[in-house]
Formats: sequence, structure tokens, C-alpha cells
Amino acid sequence: MFKRLILEDSAAIFTLFAFITAVTIFVAITWRALRMKTPQLTRFENLPFAPETPAARHDTDA
Amino acid sequence: MSDRKITIEYNDKVVRQFMLASLIWGAVGMLVGVLIAAQLNFWQLNFDTSWLTWSRLRPLHTNAVIFALVGNMMFAGIYYSTQRLVKARMASDFLSALHFWGWQAIIVSAAVTLPFGFTRGKEYAELIWPINIAVALIWVVFAVNFFWTLARRREPSLYVAIWFYISTIITITVLYVVNHLSIPTSLTHSYPVFAGVQDGLVQWWYGHNAVAFFLTTPILGIMYYFLPKAAERPVYSYRLSVIHFWSLVFLYIWAGPHHLLNTALPGWLQNLGMTFSLMLWAPSWGGMLNGLLTLRGAWHKLRTDPVLKFFAAAVTFYGMATFEGPLLSIKSVSALGHYTDWIIGHVHAGALGWNGFMAAGMIYWMLPRLWSKPLHSVPLANLHFWIGTVGILLYVAAMWVSGITQGLMLNATTDNGTVLAYPNFLDTLNTIRPLMLMRVIGGTLYFTGWLLMAYNVWQTVRGSVTVNGTIEVFDEEPSHEEPKSMSLLGAFLNPPVLFIIFGGLFACAWMFGGNFVSIAGLVGGIICCVLAYAHYESRGKAWGDWYNRLLVNTLPFTVLTFLAIVAGGMIQIIPTVVAHNATSNEDRKQIPYTPLELAGRDLYVRDGCYLCHSQMIRTLVPDVLRYGDYSRLGESIYDHPYQWGSKRNGPDLARVGGKYPNVWHVRHMEDPRSISVGSNMPSFPWLISNQLDTSTLTTKISVQRTLGVPYPNWTPEQIAANVDKQAKAIAADLKTAGSLIAPDKEIIALVAYLQQLGHYESTPVAKPTGAP
Repeated sequence: MFKRLILEDSAAIFTLFAFITAVTIFVAITWRALRMKTPQLTRFENLPFAPETPAARHDTDA
Repeated sequence: MSDRKITIEYNDKVVRQFMLASLIWGAVGMLVGVLIAAQLNFWQLNFDTSWLTWSRLRPLHTNAVIFALVGNMMFAGIYYSTQRLVKARMASDFLSALHFWGWQAIIVSAAVTLPFGFTRGKEYAELIWPINIAVALIWVVFAVNFFWTLARRREPSLYVAIWFYISTIITITVLYVVNHLSIPTSLTHSYPVFAGVQDGLVQWWYGHNAVAFFLTTPILGIMYYFLPKAAERPVYSYRLSVIHFWSLVFLYIWAGPHHLLNTALPGWLQNLGMTFSLMLWAPSWGGMLNGLLTLRGAWHKLRTDPVLKFFAAAVTFYGMATFEGPLLSIKSVSALGHYTDWIIGHVHAGALGWNGFMAAGMIYWMLPRLWSKPLHSVPLANLHFWIGTVGILLYVAAMWVSGITQGLMLNATTDNGTVLAYPNFLDTLNTIRPLMLMRVIGGTLYFTGWLLMAYNVWQTVRGSVTVNGTIEVFDEEPSHEEPKSMSLLGAFLNPPVLFIIFGGLFACAWMFGGNFVSIAGLVGGIICCVLAYAHYESRGKAWGDWYNRLLVNTLPFTVLTFLAIVAGGMIQIIPTVVAHNATSNEDRKQIPYTPLELAGRDLYVRDGCYLCHSQMIRTLVPDVLRYGDYSRLGESIYDHPYQWGSKRNGPDLARVGGKYPNVWHVRHMEDPRSISVGSNMPSFPWLISNQLDTSTLTTKISVQRTLGVPYPNWTPEQIAANVDKQAKAIAADLKTAGSLIAPDKEIIALVAYLQQLGHYESTPVAKPTGAP
């Protein structure tokens, strides 16, 4: 009753190729992230906390 | 190095503008959402008026929520956090203002054109081509302003939130341009260059990644900035955020085909979409856990702080939605859930829970800081949270139950799977009516919460003075480490990238080459892997240095991110484009529409019929039993745009042609309940009274010919004669059946189109490559 022709069978290998590529990239990035040094991590994760100065100019445009 | 300090004043005016715009447009989008949810319960609310009809308002709702609510909120968050993370004012006040006002003009033009039926007929890409060009231009303005600011930054390192913003900008550019490639036929109409399966694939490559890179990655960037700020502690794991970013950006782009499971899409693409969707579980949940664990030690603040309440709930909804998404991408689950309300519930868990609550948390956090005044009422904000949460839960739970009920009933069979248990589609509709009503109540509650926030914002802003943030920096910022510049060339001419490039080339040679090339590719690939390993072992520091330099160099970083997202798109689209030809149509090929049928099809698109009716019978027994033989790839080969649909509020129409007499369609469009008692379909009386506009048919057919549809080289007179002949035949048939309709009315063209659906030309069965 149901048939689904695969007319471009060479394309089927893309799934496997894509999976291997993704896993490779995932492993490489994870490895790289795990090897990040603590001082570097501390510096990065504190970037949102750069102190703003209390002085702020007022404007009336909003 | 100078030690002179200077004070930088941020451009917070544009942040305030985008924030307020998000608040206002969000209310509009939700109001329309509540209205269309109510229309599904009470058809009378369509008012028999074209521009208030469900199928014209639904695109207005989705576009308002995506591009107006989330878009404006996203820009507010990006402008606020970027300036502070890179310690620089936005590069150009003019570009910032142009971005804001240009974006609002686009939203207004969308709000005007969509109800009047000016649409491209592709979900979330409905806007007509002049607006598409405006969107592209304003997006470029945003990108230039953003990257210009990065180029002038005083902080060499790029925080992970900036990475997410970069990926958003470049990916949306690529997706938007490709999915909106069209050839105009008039100022308000165009045909997309893709058709059939190509168009479906490109549409969901865009549609899914609009969710990924418009509704997710920028909001994740906002999460990584605002959540630590609100919790007053750094992100739980910066390492995890790095993994989260790269894996999400790389994986998301491949997952689009999961919207087309069990359809005529080639099987390998369905498997690809399903596999990558399942893999998305890992980075999504990694990010979700990273967000929640950032609240470690700050959970007690949730009792009193509405900002943290909203953020915690938003991240939780992100986790729920990203668990549900891959689940729905499993083929067998999709067989149950696709085309049903389950998908609507899934989408709204993300839109209301993740996007809406992140927006609320961010607004409540920024409000006192941008207007230098405490929030008017914290209890009111807490009330907003609880009303909103109850609203989401009612909405989502109702849609889950409704969707699963629909799926079970529509798929149910008896007699060993040979007979449908519920052959009447309306049986399903009447069963889920209470759940549809619960959705209206849930949506109304959420909308009420939003209005409470608007009131709270108004009361806070009233009588206050606006303030712009400032920061003191060294004229030449002393760095903790020497800035390591990297040229664009340097980003590629280094061991890690070169090994990846050569490895990929060898792998391609191995897979696609002939005998000798294939063997050479295999040997080369193995040698490449061995050399890469040996080089890494001996010169590992060089690999690490390259990566560390990448993190402080915007252009190479952006180019590599671009390559990561393009790879996923190319590997899907190129083979499909190649395969999409007359020999790859299985055993059937579409017959080009007659001029009258083409005009009718444009009306079908104009009135948004595709939003409730699919034209794709899946390779599933209940689908075939209910609607007829399953749809073949070749049957929509000339459809610009494709009309496979994504939701069945009504039955599939792929084989409706010839199923009913002409008069049935006329009466059904005029008053659906006169034919199908209990139907919630709107009436379309204007189709009976409106005169058919055939003035652009010549141009339309010319454009179709340009796009590859095999029309003869008709003259305008021949086209007019063709239309006249077919219209008069239908009108005569209607007269015989007792319905007096003039041949020049719109309904005649629509009937011609509907009666053609399901007709095709049989072709020889093509054999797979290499088959005996």
C-alpha cells in the first residue's frame, strides 16, 4: 500500500555524515570548554558585573 | 597607554523606546490572539467580514507576537546589555533611531496589509515583498550598528551573550533572504522562487530556525546577561554556556524537516531532521540547567522579587518546550501530534512561558533603572506573575489534551485497521470544544496579566525622569591580557581549521567520488585524522591559542559562526534542489493550473485557507482511509508557494477535487453550517459578491513560466478566453443546480481551483540510482 521511493540514494548518506560532523564538533567544543583556565573563566563570567558609575545624565526624550 | 579616564553615556533612549513598543505591540498581538481563539469557539465573531476573518487575523497574531512583541523586546535587551558588556555607546544614534522607527513602520504596514489579504501564503513569512525588502534593510541597519559598536568596544573579550546576538544577526539574515526569494507580479503580490517539496523544506528550514534564532538565541543571550544581574551572582557555569552556544548554533539549523515528517519529503531528510531534533535535547537542557542553577543561593529571593520569579518560570518553560519539541520530532509521535492542537500548545509554552515571561522579567528589571524610580507596585507585578502562570497552564494543558484527543480520534480505526472509528471530522471538533473554550480563558488571563504590567509601567514612568547609564573607562582601556588580534585570513590558516577543511573534503571524496576517488578520499581522510591527532598532541597549545584569540576577534568569530549555520542549511537544500525535477516525482506529476484555477488558488492563499486545511496526505493508514491515496512528491511540483499546511482545523483537501459538486462548494463557502452542521469555519460571503480580478493573470502566468511551470506562451487574449470559457461552464453547472452566480465572481475561480485538487498526470515510475 505504501511505497516511498528513495530516488537520490546517494543523498541518504548525508544523515550519517551530518551526525558524525555534529558529534565531532560537540566533542571538540566540550573538550575545549573543559580546558578553559579558571582565571579566564572568572574574567568572562564577571563581565556583566562591570560597575556602572552612579552619575547618570537625565534626559527628557522618552 | 593613557590613564586618562572618560565617562561613556549609553544610548538608553533606544532601549526605552523598544521596551515600550514591545509592551504596546505585545498587548495588540495578545488581543488578536484572544479574538481568534474565541472565533474558533463562536464563528459569529468573524462578523462575515473579510478583514476580521480568522484566517486573515491569524497571521496578524503570529507576526505581532514574533516580530513586534519579541522583536522589540529582543532589541531592547540587546541594546541595553551590549553597550554595558563592551563598555561602549552604540556606534550611531542615527542608526539606532532608524532601526527603531523603521521597525515600527514595518509592524504598522504588516498590521494594515495582512487583514486585507496581502500575503505570500507562507507561515511567519506572510508579509508582501516590499515589506520584505524593508525588513532586510532595517535588519542590515541593526547589524551595522551592532558590529560597528563591537569594533569600537573597550572590553576585548566577548561575553557569551554577545555570541548569541552575533549568531542571531547572521542567521536571521541568511534565513530571511533565502525564504523570501520571490518574483513580483505586482506591487502587492509575488510568487516564491521555490515550489512543492523545495518550498516546504525551505519554509521549515526558515520557520523552525525563526523559532531558534529569533525566539531563542537572542533570548538566551538576554538570559545570560539579565539572570546573573538579577540574581547578583555569575552564571553557574561559563564552560557550560560555551558548550551550549556552539552545540545549539550548530545543531538547530538542521532540525527543520521535523515539521514535514511522514509527508512526501524524501525519507533521508526526515531522518536527518528527527536525528538532529533529538540531539537538541542536550544543549537545550544544558542551557536551561545553567540558567536555573545560576539561581543557586538566591532561591529565597523568589518569594519577594517578581523579576526572579519571571526569569525562573521562563527558564523552566524553556526546558519544558525544548523537551517537548524533540519528543514531537519522533516520527511516531509526530503521526499523532502533527496537524493538531498539541503543536499549538507546544508553541505557546514557548511564546507565553519562555518569551513572554523573559520579556516581563527584563522589563521589570530595567524599568526602575531607566526611569530612575522604583517600580510603582511590586504586589501588582507579583499578581501579574500568578495570573500569567495560571493563564499559561490553562492554555497549554487545554491544548495538550485537545491535541492528543484530536490525534487519537482522527487516527482511530476499527475492523483491524480498515475502517475509521470517527469518519466525520466534526466528531473531533465537537469533542474538543470545551478545551477550546478553556484556551480562550487561559489566553484572556495571560492578556490580563500583561495589561497589569502595562498599567504598572505607566504608573512608574509617569512623573519620572529618564536616565541614561554611564560608565567611567580609561581612554585606552588597560587589559588583563594583551589583545590578540587575528586577521580574517588568520582565522582559517591555522591547524584546527585546515585539518577540518581537508578532512571534510576527503570525506566528500570518499562518499561521492568514483572508485579511485573514493579510495583516495578514504585514505586521505584517515591520514588527515592521524596527522591532526599527532599535531594536537605535539602542538596542542597552538590549537588552544587559536581558539582563545577567536574569542576576542569579532570578524573571524562571526565568519565561523556563519559557516556553522550555513553547513546545516546547504546539506539539506542543495540535494533537494537537485532532486526536485521531473524525473524525481515518484509516479505522478502535477498538471499546471488553468488561468482560472491559478486565480482561484491565489484567492485560496489570500484568504488563508492553508491555515486550517492541509494538502498533504501522509503515509499513514488513517490519513489514507480518511482522505485518499497518499500524496506524492510530484503532485505539488509546480506549487508556488507549496500548500502542504501545518494544522488541520478542517479536513485535508489534497484530493477534494471532484468529491463534491460545484454547488456544494458555493453553499459551503457562503454558509458552512448549511452543509456541515456544527462547523466552526467562517463564512466567506464576499467571494460570492466580489468580482474576480484577472488583470494581473498575464503577468502571473509569465512569472510562473519564468519559474519553470510549463505554460504555453499564451497571449493576454488567449488567457482571457480560457478564463471566460471555464468560468461560464462552472456558472452554467451552478445554474443547473439552482445557484445563480455570475461567471466573473471570485467564487467561480475558487471552485475551479478546489475541483482541480487531486488531479495529476501519471508518469513512469523512476528507478533509484543504481537499481537493476
